[in-house]
Amino acid sequence: MDILYKVLIDPFVQMGAAPDLLVQTVWEGLVSGVLYALIALGFVLIFKASGVFNFAQGIMVVFAGLTLVGFHEMGVPAILAVILTLGVMFLLAVSVERVVLRPLVNQPDIILFMATFGITYLLIGFGELIFGGNPKRMIAEELYLPTGSIEFQTLGGFVQLQKIDIAAAVIAAIMIAALAFFFQTTRIGRALRAVADSHKAALSVGISLNQIWVIVWFTAGIVALVTGIMWGARSDVSFALQVIALKALPVLILGGFTSVPGAIVGGLIIGIGEKIGEFYWGPLVGGGIESWLAYFIALGFLLFRPQGLFGEKIIERI
Amino acid sequence: MFYREAGQYKTSYAADMAVFPIRQDLIGVLLMLAVAYVAIPMFGSEFFLSSVMIPFLVFSLAAIGLNVLTGYTGLISLGTGAFMGVGAYACYKLTTIFPGVNIIVWIVVSGFFSALVGVLFGIPSLRIKGFYLAVATLAAQFFLQWCFVRIPWLYNYNASGAIEVAQRTLFDIPITGARATPETRYFVLLTIVVVLTWFASNLVHGRIGRAWMAVRDMDIAAELMGIKLLDTKLLAFAVSSFYAGVAGACMMFLWYGGGEASDAFNINQSFNILFMVIIGGLGSLIGSFFGAAFISTLPTVLKFGLPAIGIPLAGATAEHLTHIVVGGLIIFFLIVEPHGLARLWQIGKQKLRMWPFPY
Amino acid sequence: MRAPGDGHGTTAGEVLLAVEGVSLSFGGVKAITDVSFDIRKGEIRAIIGPNGAGKTSMLNVINGFYHPQQGRIAFKGETRKRMRPYVAASQGIARTFQNVALFKGMSTIDNIMAGRTLKMKTGFFWQCLRHGPALNEEIEHRKFVEEIIDFLEIQAIRKMPVGKLPYGLQKRVELGRALAMQPDLLLLDEPMAGMNLEEKEDMSRFIIDVNNQYGTTIALIEHDMGVVMDLSDRVVVLEYGRKIADGTPAEVSADQKVIDAYLGVPH
Repeated sequence: MDILYKVLIDPFVQMGAAPDLLVQTVWEGLVSGVLYALIALGFVLIFKASGVFNFAQGIMVVFAGLTLVGFHEMGVPAILAVILTLGVMFLLAVSVERVVLRPLVNQPDIILFMATFGITYLLIGFGELIFGGNPKRMIAEELYLPTGSIEFQTLGGFVQLQKIDIAAAVIAAIMIAALAFFFQTTRIGRALRAVADSHKAALSVGISLNQIWVIVWFTAGIVALVTGIMWGARSDVSFALQVIALKALPVLILGGFTSVPGAIVGGLIIGIGEKIGEFYWGPLVGGGIESWLAYFIALGFLLFRPQGLFGEKIIERI
Repeated sequence: MFYREAGQYKTSYAADMAVFPIRQDLIGVLLMLAVAYVAIPMFGSEFFLSSVMIPFLVFSLAAIGLNVLTGYTGLISLGTGAFMGVGAYACYKLTTIFPGVNIIVWIVVSGFFSALVGVLFGIPSLRIKGFYLAVATLAAQFFLQWCFVRIPWLYNYNASGAIEVAQRTLFDIPITGARATPETRYFVLLTIVVVLTWFASNLVHGRIGRAWMAVRDMDIAAELMGIKLLDTKLLAFAVSSFYAGVAGACMMFLWYGGGEASDAFNINQSFNILFMVIIGGLGSLIGSFFGAAFISTLPTVLKFGLPAIGIPLAGATAEHLTHIVVGGLIIFFLIVEPHGLARLWQIGKQKLRMWPFPY
Repeated sequence: MRAPGDGHGTTAGEVLLAVEGVSLSFGGVKAITDVSFDIRKGEIRAIIGPNGAGKTSMLNVINGFYHPQQGRIAFKGETRKRMRPYVAASQGIARTFQNVALFKGMSTIDNIMAGRTLKMKTGFFWQCLRHGPALNEEIEHRKFVEEIIDFLEIQAIRKMPVGKLPYGLQKRVELGRALAMQPDLLLLDEPMAGMNLEEKEDMSRFIIDVNNQYGTTIALIEHDMGVVMDLSDRVVVLEYGRKIADGTPAEVSADQKVIDAYLGVPH
């Protein structure tokens, strides 16, 4: 009975007893959720347009962040460094399309998925070779990102918000809105949605698949850079981020592989869920459950709704 | 010229169904066994045995396991490393609690524990497929890894938090622990690998293997033909995890001789083994060996080979280069031959059969 | 092999499968509405209708892949409402598919051998060893499979991976795989779609031979009216998920509703 009380009742009692802590925890979860959502967004863009499950999205974040810091260390002004990094991400998109996607067109999904493993390893190798394996500090001030924190006197205690986190949420929202605008209204956006529906049909009306692929991978690269900056500003830019980036996978499961709103809502659910789980239930088993809780949330969810939050129910046909 | 079936007529279905339908294949395998059992221990140095052959064999076993799941049954798993870990810890606990029983027995039995855990994490495979399942196996990876660190009972409350391999003997010859020679460890490991490979080959060539492949190629049709999907998939998970578990136990007890277990069974290990299976060839046992040989020896070759031919290399650089080379090769192989080294091997054999004619 | 049944042209056999008032819908879309018909032992029963009439859905309902919201299905006198495809298969319902659903990575032999899975019993232990009972069983079933291979005249492609075979042969292998299950009821979903005249004649011959030699009851969906009229004993016609006619080929082809469904009604 004691254990049942500890699992089922006590955490909620604690939540009620210190609502400020609860708010703080939810906020922390929200912030990491935004970052998960950003990585998941990169996945979704590429998956929608090319059917490729891009395992390399996580390392692209690291790589973009490292490149940016690397340019700045060479003495390039921050803003110029951002532009140069975007150039590098564009080159990456072009070479991925030329070297990997084009020769592998029409191969089964699993082959393309494996190929992105290859890209991941290449990027890890090159990244380490060029920038070294040590964590680097993100050039947050140089990019005019706010530092410091705001404290609220509320709920019988206080809640502390990092300014950078608020900035991250705002920038993420702006970027998502911009992407949505781009895809809904421009010619390229329309072509992209056509490709997402059917490669063959898109080809038959004269849409260049190759061009579309470069554009999506570049867009995913931009998203990666933004994610890299935000994440780097909170901690450091390091390869450890790559494992954390795997958390985007349960997010995708929750949201569905092809849904942008799904990625966002999924990211927030996972972020908040794992922070609350860790804070209130983690101590019962010695802590550290953050490393796997996200996967279990997704897994439990999957058993009841295999198509994800926003996916449509699949009718199997034969 | 020497490799063709001309003149070898099959007079029974048994002969036609043999795993090696061409006599030269059988001779080839026997020859390889002879090399493995006689020539390598005789001529190989201790370094070669313990740094090349033993890792190669351990990874081959793990790769066969993953190949059963991913190659034959079409279920992607990113949790192989953790399932290996289950085997290693199970073996450690078993030999601690029952030190009297021979360690080889425990190495094999630990596979069953791993199989059980594998089945548990395989249950979602009924409802979820493809990449979704890959993520589900990540749940296994991270959860089990967490268990390895957070449950001190698993590592006998050692201060180091690591598995400490004690000495165990067979006929008074030490086969684990510090005093076991590389030769003995190699022989024990080789025998385990040979027997388990033979089992795997029998399985995939029979009813069970066909059911696995049927589920992989067209699960709906398989179901409508009376193949129970869940049973078939769970069996694949069980067999696969069994092999991974035995490989993990072998890794700790016959190769590492103890050490930082949580590092050996992390997500990168899972990826490593996945690469072996892809590069070697999905759905091919011989490919598992090729892949294991390739990926497990590549770091050693780069680390010791390049300085040997006069290219100086810092230790860290070698590691970075390994990443680049492995990444590049994965892409290269997928483009040139998505079916891996095993297919190249087959094409080679086909050419040899036709030789000197091109077709 | 089984003793030959009463063969082609018999319509007086007992009812093997009865479909009673089956309705099936996906969300708001009604695929089948209140359809009833029966299939008698030993006959060749055709299910025809325009595209989207619910023919394939009907087959899916019969072998347990879809579960109808209303109605019942009685097979061999046993009534059921919901069942798993596995149960349908083990009770003796086999089928082929509209878009060939072979196991592409396996050889012809392995594909047909896979059809024997339900009949193979040796346990995991013997399968590991592949000696003794497991080997004997394998050889015994291989013999049966070779008979099917002879019957379908596909000896030459025995060991070819089926993914590389031309379409016509794939359809034949698929028929072989279904036959390997020794079904009591064989469902064929457009067995001749996309074939040329010669291949169609071959396939028609196989279907009649299966029916004659093994006495297997066959239900088939086909668009080629000539084939349907020649092969089948009785025809059921679906349109928009409803049954509009049921009877011998001659009766059905004279039915005004069927003519309207196929040619359209002047407005």
